[in-house]
Amino acid sequence: MDDGGKTRIDYFVGMDRSLGEILSDSEVAPLLAAAERAGLPGAYVVDPKGNLLWGNGSAAAPPGEAASERTILVEGEPAGGVALADPAPAEGPGEALLCLLADTLTAMAHNNLKRMLTTEVHTEVVNRSYEELLETNRKLVVSEQRYRELAGNLEIKVRERTEELSRAMTRLLQQEKMASVGQLAAGVAHEVNNPLAFVTSNVQTLKKYIERFLDMIARYERACEKGGIPQPERDELRKHREALRLDAISRDAGELIRQTQEGTERVRKIVADLKGFSHVDEEGEAPADLNREIERTLSVLAHEVPPGAEIDRRLSPLPSLVCRPGLFCQMFLNLVRNAFQARRDGLRLVIRTAVSGDRIVLSFADNGPGVPPALRTRIFEPFFTTREVGKGKGLGLTMVYDIVTSHGGTIEVEDTPGGGATFVVKLPIQRGGHDKVR
Amino acid sequence: MIEFDADGNRMVLKLVYYGPALSGKTTNLLKLHDLLAREGRGELMVLDTQNDRTIFFDLLPFFLTAPSGLRIKVKVYTVPGQVQHDATRKAVLQRADGVAFIADSRRAEAKNNVESFGNLERNLSIVGIDIDKLPLVIQYNKRDLPDITPDEEVRTIWGPTGIPVVLASALEGWGVVETFRALVERTYDTLDRKHALLGTHGLTRESFVQRLACRAE
Repeated sequence: MDDGGKTRIDYFVGMDRSLGEILSDSEVAPLLAAAERAGLPGAYVVDPKGNLLWGNGSAAAPPGEAASERTILVEGEPAGGVALADPAPAEGPGEALLCLLADTLTAMAHNNLKRMLTTEVHTEVVNRSYEELLETNRKLVVSEQRYRELAGNLEIKVRERTEELSRAMTRLLQQEKMASVGQLAAGVAHEVNNPLAFVTSNVQTLKKYIERFLDMIARYERACEKGGIPQPERDELRKHREALRLDAISRDAGELIRQTQEGTERVRKIVADLKGFSHVDEEGEAPADLNREIERTLSVLAHEVPPGAEIDRRLSPLPSLVCRPGLFCQMFLNLVRNAFQARRDGLRLVIRTAVSGDRIVLSFADNGPGVPPALRTRIFEPFFTTREVGKGKGLGLTMVYDIVTSHGGTIEVEDTPGGGATFVVKLPIQRGGHDKVR
Repeated sequence: MIEFDADGNRMVLKLVYYGPALSGKTTNLLKLHDLLAREGRGELMVLDTQNDRTIFFDLLPFFLTAPSGLRIKVKVYTVPGQVQHDATRKAVLQRADGVAFIADSRRAEAKNNVESFGNLERNLSIVGIDIDKLPLVIQYNKRDLPDITPDEEVRTIWGPTGIPVVLASALEGWGVVETFRALVERTYDTLDRKHALLGTHGLTRESFVQRLACRAE
């Protein structure tokens, strides 16, 4: 309905009205009195059924039956009649008077009906306009109220939106940075891998060659000792050998090679970790073992571990989780780094992983200064930092928060028993109703 | 229907002439009053007007009695066409038994016709009348004027709707009785289905139409 379904129609045009409703005593009585004065006594008015409406007509007969009756019309239809108690005068001038009386009453009824109809329509329109105005006013009040509230909340909304936007931008920047750093790392790793391969291979070969030289030298020595070479030359050879410290060298050679091989192996592992960590080879989501990603992160961060720090890994087997492993490594990196920055001396970081119901629960507990309850909601805000100026940008935990929530998970910070902060991350194993990672 | 009094053996019907301002609704009633036989109809009642513009409504009543003795009164009304009198239009439209929509044939008025017809549809819905079941006739009035929508176009527009269209010039007096006759015929069909005018009251369609739309000699 056009008017909001509220329009009530309780007035309609067209209802028929009886003569008694249209004419009033004060209008008819003077007419009847005038007729009497004019020589027409005992005139009375009846309705269509013959019931007396006005006048002194105790002997009223049904209309039509009284010979003297003249019809009164309303809307062109007989609505009653006027008759005489004594039909005798209804002849000659009396009849003219009676006709005049009936015509006058018809005209009067016609005019009264017009007046009533116009008044009714007018009143109805005024009433309805008033109701509509009231309704409009009510709607305006509601609307004004809403705009007031909007205006009041606008500032808050703008602030919220600004924060959201700055958070989103930060995330984008960070992801972009991660991607370029990852690509750089992967490129460097690739470049390092080639020389590393031939260094490793050559060292291996060199080891075999040295073993052969040493074997040959040992055989020569044994041959010398058996004689066949004059004593002065043998002394000369022994002196030269001592001067060259060949005994120590041959003892050390194996160890040198072994250490070199250890070194190249370490370089190989670092390069592999770096490539794995940046996950530049992977596009989008893939199933990942979070325990392995945590180990990987820790090995990449090995050089940042504060001296004397103890890292306790209590990792339970986890089902593989479909996620973007690169982002998750970044999350672990930020959480571990956060712990490293919480305390320099005597740091103890406990990393736990477990499955609880349909969620994977990860916790990173440090024994640093902890997070005061008042700041617990703020530490995930962008650019919020408790570190000295220049030490932290205040983005690490924001990234962590974004990565966790975009996966449909939650992150909370609690007290570590005995002091410190514990970050608890809960991730749904199946992300049925949740959005994919942005 | 305004009233059906089975005991009093009486039925009061309402037909409404609807349409945009100045399309000739009152002229239609004036011409009907002139063209139809005096017998069986009352006088035209024109409620107050302002500069010849209807501000309330006009009323032309008709009467007939069925062979069964059922007295039928048909009240034909016009509505004020001007936009601001919408409340009056609703009051007049309430309980209508049939509507003649008087459109202005002049091309310049095409938009007003559309708006007024939209207003009719809305108001019918508000007063609880189903436009698909309501006897409805369209009259394209003022065919005597230049620059009018051609016959062909009128038929193309309304043909698919199945609503009868009558071309008329109320001022010249042609098409007026035809419009009324078409409306009365359709009204009879609806009434007969509901109240068995023929079966119970012995009133045929021809006699119903003939008595209401009988031209003066």
